Amino acid sequence: MVVRDFYETETASFWRNSPEIKSGELKTSEIKTEVFFFPSAQVPEMEGSFTNTQRLLQYHEKAADPPGDARSNLWFTYHLGNKLKALYRNSTSDRDWAIRNLLWDYEPEPTEVANWRIKDEPSAYKVLKEINGYNWGDKKPLPSFANLKEDGSTACGAWIYTGVIPEEGKNNAARRQGDNWISPNWGFSWPANRHIMYNRASADTEGRPWSEKKKLVYWDPNADSGTKDTSGRPILGKWVAPSGESIDFAPTKAPGSLGRDDSIGLDWLGGNDPFIMRADGKAWLFAPSGLVDGPLPTHYEPYESPVHNIIYKQQSNPLAKVWKVDGNPYHLVADPKYPIVISTYRLTEHYLSGTMSRWLPWLAELMPELFCEISPELAAEKGIKNGEYMTIQTARGEIQARALVTRRMRPFVIDGRTVHEIGMPWHWGWQGTSRGDVVNDLSVLVADPNVSIHEGKVFTCNIRAGKRGGTA
Amino acid sequence: MAKGMFVDTSICTGCKACQVACKEWNELDPEPAHFKSDPATKLLADHFTGDSYDNTGKISATDWRHVRFIEQFNRNRIGSRWLFSSDSCKHCTDAACLNVCPYSAIIRTEMGNVVVLQDKCQGARDCTHACPYGVVRYSDKSGTSQKCTLCNDRIHNGLGTACAKACPTGSIRFGEVAELRTRADSRLARLKASGEARANIYGYKEAKGLNVFYLLMDKPSVYGLPENPVVQQRPKSLPPLPANLGILVIGVTALVKFRERGAKERSEEKR
Repeated sequence: MVVRDFYETETASFWRNSPEIKSGELKTSEIKTEVFFFPSAQVPEMEGSFTNTQRLLQYHEKAADPPGDARSNLWFTYHLGNKLKALYRNSTSDRDWAIRNLLWDYEPEPTEVANWRIKDEPSAYKVLKEINGYNWGDKKPLPSFANLKEDGSTACGAWIYTGVIPEEGKNNAARRQGDNWISPNWGFSWPANRHIMYNRASADTEGRPWSEKKKLVYWDPNADSGTKDTSGRPILGKWVAPSGESIDFAPTKAPGSLGRDDSIGLDWLGGNDPFIMRADGKAWLFAPSGLVDGPLPTHYEPYESPVHNIIYKQQSNPLAKVWKVDGNPYHLVADPKYPIVISTYRLTEHYLSGTMSRWLPWLAELMPELFCEISPELAAEKGIKNGEYMTIQTARGEIQARALVTRRMRPFVIDGRTVHEIGMPWHWGWQGTSRGDVVNDLSVLVADPNVSIHEGKVFTCNIRAGKRGGTA
Repeated sequence: MAKGMFVDTSICTGCKACQVACKEWNELDPEPAHFKSDPATKLLADHFTGDSYDNTGKISATDWRHVRFIEQFNRNRIGSRWLFSSDSCKHCTDAACLNVCPYSAIIRTEMGNVVVLQDKCQGARDCTHACPYGVVRYSDKSGTSQKCTLCNDRIHNGLGTACAKACPTGSIRFGEVAELRTRADSRLARLKASGEARANIYGYKEAKGLNVFYLLMDKPSVYGLPENPVVQQRPKSLPPLPANLGILVIGVTALVKFRERGAKERSEEKR
């Protein structure tokens, strides 16, 4: 196992101090994994783009060389690739064809590394340019995915990113000109710098903004469309976006206009069909295709639930993905051994599994330890006191946490019966400056049938006062 | 024109980004009281309070900012609210800390902010006892009083405060006090119109006006703020006085007062 990280994370240290080692379930001497640690550069010590969940690419420049042997992820991957290519250079085996022919030309330009100690840091710009796409012949970047060809004359890593490097030396992800609205000149929003998808839907069927205050894209009947009629007079009417937002619709396709029945693709869609990636241009409530389940949302109980579905005979999603394997036993519906609902979530103070944030004292002191939120009613029933330890148990595992007794948690009455719920953030592990048990030791492997999202938001458990293993 | 901040608690989400930004910009240590020593990582966080999402508890010499969490939930959970408020030095127009400092080590800059001059402070602590908000705290490490400077270095270089910059909802705004008041008035009118009868602005009259003032969703005592802050006007001790005794007397008086207030606040929060 190769670990490249800022800290010795839980994954990196599983072989020496994990709960399984401490409980005797695993023995270090019997673990056959060989572990390699590589020092890694911190974010300000490397260049590159990152894309957030709202589709915005932003570029970060390198501010300093990393110390000693620490290197960027990109450096590691690039030089690993070079070593593999050297190793397989003379291979005649068909199976090595891909490695021998892999295009791996991210050698930095002298200017890119002139100011730095590390001279063999690959060019992050060249990587992004390859993703953006370019003409194979003259290697010039492509400004739009509309320039992509299917004849091999263009190359592109991901068409949705095309336009981030519209011309050589221009990096739209590095733009930093914000305004108090859409900020079209801040970074690059894929695709085509569109910040709000299907934005023609911000206007009604006559092209007027649904809300004057929130108007985004609308039809201006008096704007010059840039085209002329047969007698040479300008044709008026086009979609406009004063914010500078990139319009996600044919610019002069008038509201209410009909699609052409004899055409294909976007031409088949009319002026009131904003959802241009759907075959019919409409948003779907009833989804006859594309989903594994469907076509309409309905109420299913979670896979593990303390109650029977009181709306339908079907208890839970019949297409949910389940894994009947060792270590993943499922609770029964209304299982008397596990009557309490548990929900897991995140806090603002820590990031994901906390492998970065729990080592930072400024963040660790804000949320110092794993805790479990519990109503005063349930706490009284179980003899659990605020601030003291409690144990949470499922068929998968048992963990301890500080109790946070709060009326924000409330008992439900479902079908005449009181059902309690507890809540736990899941950022913790045994390493770092803020430590706690691993909440996913409790959770159940069940996934939704469409995108395999893990059902960690709700499953069942039982609790008791005191630390795990029965100590106070 | 005085610069200050308007803290609109109605749109605070309790994310604590302001607390972290403050410590980052001002290079403040982790609060030693929040950690125990640990062989592997030196520090191990050890200050779980069980008081909602607040684990720092109060403003200190290394925590110039503190986000308060107030849970208003009755037995039936009717009319429930979870209130948040990011608290710091208020940069009072009539600043008790400045009034009482025997060494004139606390000054007001031309931008209206109140600053403890670290090279002049002798650690007399009159200010820590005089501050009606418990904001000025003594640091054993520096031997001086510490508090929010309204990011004195930033605001004298054309920037706003670090906390306001980090605030994702605009709950903390930096600017001209007069403009901020206009904004606060219209926000309060809107909240009142939408039925928030208890909403009020704290800081127009207190200590002759606070440059950092608040829109609160409940009466000030709910947020641990005194309804009628008493501002000391003159130094009680003067530099070469036999200070030990004087400070002890002031200290005990302040402590008693502080405790009384604390107890009152706690009982009101539990309501």
